[in-house]
Amino acid sequence: MKNIRYLAISVVILFILPTVTIAFGEETKEYVNRRAEIWNLFFRMTTAVFVVGAVVSGTQIWLIWRFRESHPKNKTPTKWETGESH
Amino acid sequence: MVLEIAKPRPVWQIMFSTHHTDVGLLYLITSIAFLFLGGALALAMRAELFLPGSQIIQDSMTFHRFFTVHGTTLIFLFILPFAAAIGNYLVPIMVRYKDMAYPKLNAVAYWMIPVGAALIWLGFADFTWNAYPTYSILRAPGPAADMWIFGLKILGVSSILGAINFIVTILKCKHPDLPLSKVPLFAWSTLIASVMILVAVPTFAAALLMLLTDRLGVSGFFNPAMGGDPIAYQHLFWFTFHPEVYILVLPAIGMMYEIIPRFSRKPLFSSGSGIAAFILLGIVGFASWAHHMYATGMSFTEKTVFMIGTLAAVPGSAMHVFNFFATMWGGRIRFSTPMMWSVGGIALFFAAGSGGVLNTAMPLDFITHDSYWVVGHFHLFVFGTIAFGSIAFLYYIFPFVTGRMYNEKLGQLHFVLAFIGAVIVFFTQHILGLFGMPRRVFDYPPFPEWIAMNQIATVGAMIIGASMIIFLINMIHSSAKGKEANMDDPWGIGGKYYFPHRVKTPHH
Amino acid sequence: MSGHSSWPEWVYIGVVVAILVWVGADSWYIEKLIDHAPEDAEIIKVTGQQWFWSFEHADGTKEVGELHLKKGHPYKFEVQSKDVIHSFNIHDYTVMMDAVPGRINTVWFVPDEAGEFPIQCREYCGLIHYNMRGTLYVEES
Repeated sequence: MKNIRYLAISVVILFILPTVTIAFGEETKEYVNRRAEIWNLFFRMTTAVFVVGAVVSGTQIWLIWRFRESHPKNKTPTKWETGESH
Repeated sequence: MVLEIAKPRPVWQIMFSTHHTDVGLLYLITSIAFLFLGGALALAMRAELFLPGSQIIQDSMTFHRFFTVHGTTLIFLFILPFAAAIGNYLVPIMVRYKDMAYPKLNAVAYWMIPVGAALIWLGFADFTWNAYPTYSILRAPGPAADMWIFGLKILGVSSILGAINFIVTILKCKHPDLPLSKVPLFAWSTLIASVMILVAVPTFAAALLMLLTDRLGVSGFFNPAMGGDPIAYQHLFWFTFHPEVYILVLPAIGMMYEIIPRFSRKPLFSSGSGIAAFILLGIVGFASWAHHMYATGMSFTEKTVFMIGTLAAVPGSAMHVFNFFATMWGGRIRFSTPMMWSVGGIALFFAAGSGGVLNTAMPLDFITHDSYWVVGHFHLFVFGTIAFGSIAFLYYIFPFVTGRMYNEKLGQLHFVLAFIGAVIVFFTQHILGLFGMPRRVFDYPPFPEWIAMNQIATVGAMIIGASMIIFLINMIHSSAKGKEANMDDPWGIGGKYYFPHRVKTPHH
Repeated sequence: MSGHSSWPEWVYIGVVVAILVWVGADSWYIEKLIDHAPEDAEIIKVTGQQWFWSFEHADGTKEVGELHLKKGHPYKFEVQSKDVIHSFNIHDYTVMMDAVPGRINTVWFVPDEAGEFPIQCREYCGLIHYNMRGTLYVEES
């Protein structure tokens, strides 16, 4: 329930307020700041990309460390090597 | 049979052969030669851009010719022939057939490559590998421009003939006991790429013909003075070349599918998911071409349609990354040179894709279009993913082709230097683009940030160059004097392989 | 095919698709914001040709290589070319639009900061593409 409230507030701030501002903006001669809007979008996207990138590269680094041949837990061959042939 | 450098087979025997392993070898040698030639052009350009003003290149036109031939060479004379090389070596074995479906046509398709290459290199056109009109029809100097057009025509036909051969081999010549779902993923990637070639490349063939007749003045397809539209060319061009980037990347991902499960000593997580991802990319890859044209004055609706088409292809690529990770998870990984290159390739593939998702946001195009951001982005794909996957496979197939092992330490050093160099050059170029530096420029104003980043990028490029010299030494020395490989299992990882050296050839 | 549960893959694809939907929606919204020029934007004709930019103000004033505009006023550029494709770019204001012979492309902005800003060409146009530059002067109004 609380999450819906946060979501609603975010939607209002990110979308509805700017739209209303623009709709009423013509009369007060406030024009859209092109470069601000574009660069803000860029930084939102970049934040998302870097978060995803951290997850993906973190996973990859963990994988190549944990499942490398020389890791102590990898001394014994896997079940694919000893058991079923592929 | 292996290529025994010390006691070589007669060269004419290889040159006139129609057997798939020999044609594969011809494609292999040609593609690697052009990797180095195209790379040399890149190093020259990066040296020139180290500082504002003229360094080693005296005039802008020469620089323009360099980047045109650099791009054209690496796409058409390295990536595509290299994929054809590996396809030739392995696809017939993977579908359990004795050769390609049409061996003579196979050889003909190969021999068109040197002809096309000669036209491109002897001409040295200057109009970028895109060849946009109206510059290419009204102002680009001939005969370079016309030679480029003819060269690409011939290379396009070669691609189409090769594609037909692969499709018929995989679909019609595969062994009756082998269901399609059990055909290895590298063969699938070649199949889907070949189907895409048949759909995409004829469009460009038409565009090339129109460019030529426009240059001759007998038509005005793209010339506004004669009622034509230059943007029409861009639609035709990108309708081919957006799918083309998937045609370039699919075989490289297919090559990673050969290497990663083997060196993880674990079966592929899901071949169904990999096949589905290839098919998805093959279809959706055709829906996004005009994202290259956001700045040409397209309407809001058009831009939205192509943005959606571009985003729709991302899940396909994401599925491949998941597949690779899930395959490595729980394995026992030997990080030999091919595996290092493949894993590094996945990392850079992801970085390239993320930058791509950013590019596809329509408003961000106003920042990034035709700037060094784009250069950094696509090089992460063509070098960081495709060249990394190809080089991984070159190391992998080396013992099977030559009978000897490459030097493992040098191979790993090659990887480390190339990876570091790639990150330095291409990540820096993203930021350089954000600071506004246009691409395809011989010189730039002395803004301190631009100078600093250009210098960093040049250093990174030289690191890549050094790594490629190590690579060349390793390849040449090891093929003649390398330790003889254990032909059943060159890396001692206990896997099963496809053995190109064991097929029956007419010369044995 | 592989006989094991594939729910992690579906969750992963779900997350990927959600992010892509957000990218698309946010981009669509911002593009919509900046697409429509205001009614009172002054029209500036921009002409690109090998290898310089020339401008014509609404009152007929012509400038070559330089453009003088007033801070806080909306301007709409009508971008055209006399020969090959160029691309009109004022990077500091994220203004970019191709100059294509045979058509007129439009882009608008409001310069909100006084100063000097580089104008450059962002589409390869031949010998001196790299130096097809100009300067935007934004003056206090």
